[in-house]
Amino acid sequence: MVEFAPEVIDTIIRASALLGAGFAMIAGIGPGIGQGYAAGKAVESVARDPEARGNIITTMLLGQAVAESTGIYSLVIAIVLIFTI
Amino acid sequence: MIEFSPGTIEMIIRSVSVIAAGLALIAGVGPGIGMGYAAGKATSGVRRQPEARGAIVTTMLLGQIISGSTGIYSLVIAIYLVFA
Amino acid sequence: MKYINNPDRMQIEIIKRTYLVSSLPIAYSLISGEFETLLGFVFGLVISTLILRLRVINIERSLDMEEEKAETFIRNRYFIEYAIYLVVLVVARTNPSLNFLAAAVGLFMMKFTVIMWVIFDMAKGGLKNKLQEYKDLKEDKSEKGGN
Repeated sequence: MVEFAPEVIDTIIRASALLGAGFAMIAGIGPGIGQGYAAGKAVESVARDPEARGNIITTMLLGQAVAESTGIYSLVIAIVLIFTI
Repeated sequence: MIEFSPGTIEMIIRSVSVIAAGLALIAGVGPGIGMGYAAGKATSGVRRQPEARGAIVTTMLLGQIISGSTGIYSLVIAIYLVFA
Repeated sequence: MKYINNPDRMQIEIIKRTYLVSSLPIAYSLISGEFETLLGFVFGLVISTLILRLRVINIERSLDMEEEKAETFIRNRYFIEYAIYLVVLVVARTNPSLNFLAAAVGLFMMKFTVIMWVIFDMAKGGLKNKLQEYKDLKEDKSEKGGN
């Protein structure tokens, strides 16, 4: 039977938490692609209908701000994993 | 009973945090792909309607200001992991 | 957002508003005497201003290219920008007279300002619309009362 000393268990848990923080930040890919896609579509519609540009820019920025939230969730999880475990 | 010496513990934590920092840096790819897509649309828009150039530049600039920040989040975490 | 058609004016406006918003944390850190926070914050703010200029120049250059070429151009420029951020954050972390988190917050300040600006603009527009509706309603009522 294999037994671990308490320091070994602590080390394994701490190492896994750090690795998990690194994995959590991969989620930052998603909002980046989505926000860029929104900017591309907004540019397309500004070129199609220049009169409506004020509304288009406002809508684009609000949509991007909402899309950002998943990135912030992953950041919060990473910070929690690093600093509390 | 398996036991680690303090040097081994130090080494494991250090190596794992460097690996995690490398994984976190992958997130910087996303904004690059998105911004590239926006730039392609902007060029075709200017080709179609040259008088809307100013509005297109402003729209792209505001989009880039917002979308660049997810990369910085991952950078902050990565640097914190490396220099902890 | 009055100056949408004029990118040069818009940049000045964005920078002005960002500095206006960030004068609050600067004043707070000056009063409380945390000079590392102050230095880190100003460092991040200056770098984000310079990156804004870089982005405008890159966008202006990319607009005259072919579509696929512009895509790769902006993507490569973004990776250069990412490397600049990496260097800036490493410097802020290793230098003991700069606060790391304050530098990161300074880099985010411009984005925060733009989002707040849009939300305020929208709230103002909504308030104006509501007032207009109320006025119309009142006029309708007075007309009816007159009849």
